[in-house]
Amino acid sequence: MAEVKYEAASRIYPGTTLAAVNKLDLDIADGELLVLVGPSGSGKSTALRMLAGLEFVDQGSIYINGKDVTLSPPQDRDIAMVFQNYALYPQMSVASNMAFALKQQGIPKAERMERVKEAAKILDLEPYLDRKPKNLSGGQRQRVAMGRAIVREPQVFLMDEPLSNLDAKLRVQTRTELVDLQARLGVTTVYVTHDQVEAMTMGHRVAVLDHGVLQQVDTPRRLYSHPANLFVAGFIGSPAMNLIEVDRQGDQLIVGAKPIPLPDDVASDLRASDSKRFVVGVRPEHLALAEDGSPSTVVVVEELGSDAFVHVEMPHEGGSTMVVVRVDGETSIERGHTLNFDVNGPVHIFDAKSGVRLGSDPSM
Amino acid sequence: MTSTSTLSRDEQVKALQKKDARRRRIPLLPALIFTIVVTQTPFVFSLYFGFLKWRGNTTAPREWIGFKNYTDAFQNMFFREAAWVSILMTVSAVLLSVIFGTLIALLLDRKFFGQGFVRTLIITPFLVMPVVAGLVWKNQMFSFNFGVINWVLNQVGIESREWVSEFPLWTIVIVLVWQWTPFMMLIMLAGLQGQSSSVLEAAKVDGASASATFFQITLPHLRPYLELGVLLGSIYLIQVYDHIFTITGGGPGSTNIPFFVNQRSFGAAFAYGSASAYSILVVIAAILIANFGLRVLSGLLEGEEA
Repeated sequence: MAEVKYEAASRIYPGTTLAAVNKLDLDIADGELLVLVGPSGSGKSTALRMLAGLEFVDQGSIYINGKDVTLSPPQDRDIAMVFQNYALYPQMSVASNMAFALKQQGIPKAERMERVKEAAKILDLEPYLDRKPKNLSGGQRQRVAMGRAIVREPQVFLMDEPLSNLDAKLRVQTRTELVDLQARLGVTTVYVTHDQVEAMTMGHRVAVLDHGVLQQVDTPRRLYSHPANLFVAGFIGSPAMNLIEVDRQGDQLIVGAKPIPLPDDVASDLRASDSKRFVVGVRPEHLALAEDGSPSTVVVVEELGSDAFVHVEMPHEGGSTMVVVRVDGETSIERGHTLNFDVNGPVHIFDAKSGVRLGSDPSM
Repeated sequence: MTSTSTLSRDEQVKALQKKDARRRRIPLLPALIFTIVVTQTPFVFSLYFGFLKWRGNTTAPREWIGFKNYTDAFQNMFFREAAWVSILMTVSAVLLSVIFGTLIALLLDRKFFGQGFVRTLIITPFLVMPVVAGLVWKNQMFSFNFGVINWVLNQVGIESREWVSEFPLWTIVIVLVWQWTPFMMLIMLAGLQGQSSSVLEAAKVDGASASATFFQITLPHLRPYLELGVLLGSIYLIQVYDHIFTITGGGPGSTNIPFFVNQRSFGAAFAYGSASAYSILVVIAAILIANFGLRVLSGLLEGEEA
């Protein structure tokens, strides 16, 4: 049980000038499941490996439970890690794989086996203890990797995309099991994924990284409703938020026929700003059919049963943009129709150049 | 579609598959026959000659004597000694070159400046012709008067020795190890590079020390590579001839079976029949030694279970 703290921690790979992880500041509470998410090359895995001690910390420090571990080798950090390819020891049985760390600590064999059995029970691995990893299915291997971590009873679990080698159905199922297991064990967990759905469904809080820079850390709900910048807005949510780039018309932003209604804090930020171009972000569910909306042409309709995603060409000042609208699955819309759509929910306004959100700081 | 054939659907499919298989294999047949003829004919002849009494230096006709050549072999003190030398030479040279090869491979399995250059340098002994290797070692290293080894020992006050005549077997083993270490190193390096780096990282995170990681994870991983090295090494090293010829000329305690076979036949005695029988014994011995080596190795690594 421990809290984890990154303090301006940077990793600059030798031979490069750009930091893979740039001055990361992050506080992870005891028992929290924090998800690091970002596209490939965002530095999320590097950040995790810095915490594991597998990657050097060039600047800043990392603390586990208040203890500075910046320069400690992985062996001294009391962490357990689950790797993307599981990294099971191929020549050892499942039981030996799980007991390996305990053996290194010099724990007697009887106690080792007892703890392995306990973990195996939690993970339904009891029938497979004598098997070699190569004789297990992908899901079973994943559970062995989990088992190897939990028998240790470490201070922190580190998980590097542990579900990405599973098929879609198993992934969703294992996701739930993992969340449940983490809650039961109450061990602080740092979880890396590139899949924003995984991040949103699993994390108590989610840290979004891009190009080695932390963009926002927040609860999944706040991340969705108050993205701090254009990157987070575009990255979180599926289908992605519609981002419409427009020039300001005085103190108004016009999409379609009408100016977008702006909350007071956003309007005052807009007045104060001297930028010309802004991005209007609207989630697909915050657009709807409306009598007096702007007429748009339907290009593609994706039927999902409960909902349908309608891709339409929406005209605005100085051009048109493809936007996605979520409508009820019962609505019958076909390609080629011209329909009127209007905003009927919150909008997010970002400065086109800096990407910063207008209005009150979401982290407040 | 109606079929006029009386065969069932299943049988038709099977017949088609068979035909297809035959069509693909027939073009390979000439190569197969050629290989069998070229590789197996000499063996079959040796097998046949091994049952004959056949002296090349007399006019006496060949005579079928059954297993007598084989039973004689075990009576022959010189053959028994040659067999013992063969075993000693092969086992020690293979084991030492595997051990050194693995150690060097561990050193080379990391990035450093000039890695490619060093690797090439280390491989060179394997590229040297056996006869050349033997001569170089005999005249430049082991030589009583001009040898590098004696020179180095003299510098620290140790007297020169006649290495080749004092330790005929071990000087040959040293040269064999020198030549075969690079080969083993290549095999082990391939094995090490085939090891997933995340497995090693997992071991680190699991708190394993460097030696625990090596003995519990890397070595078991290398097992098939060690087996391959031992197998190939045994097969080649039991046939060593050139090194013995150039270094000791078969001097006391350094005649192995192939060298002995040559002495018995073309070298001096012209005993083609018994020489053939001996060479068949070498084949059997090679198989036995290789098998024994593999057993021992497997046994050593099998015991590694938590």
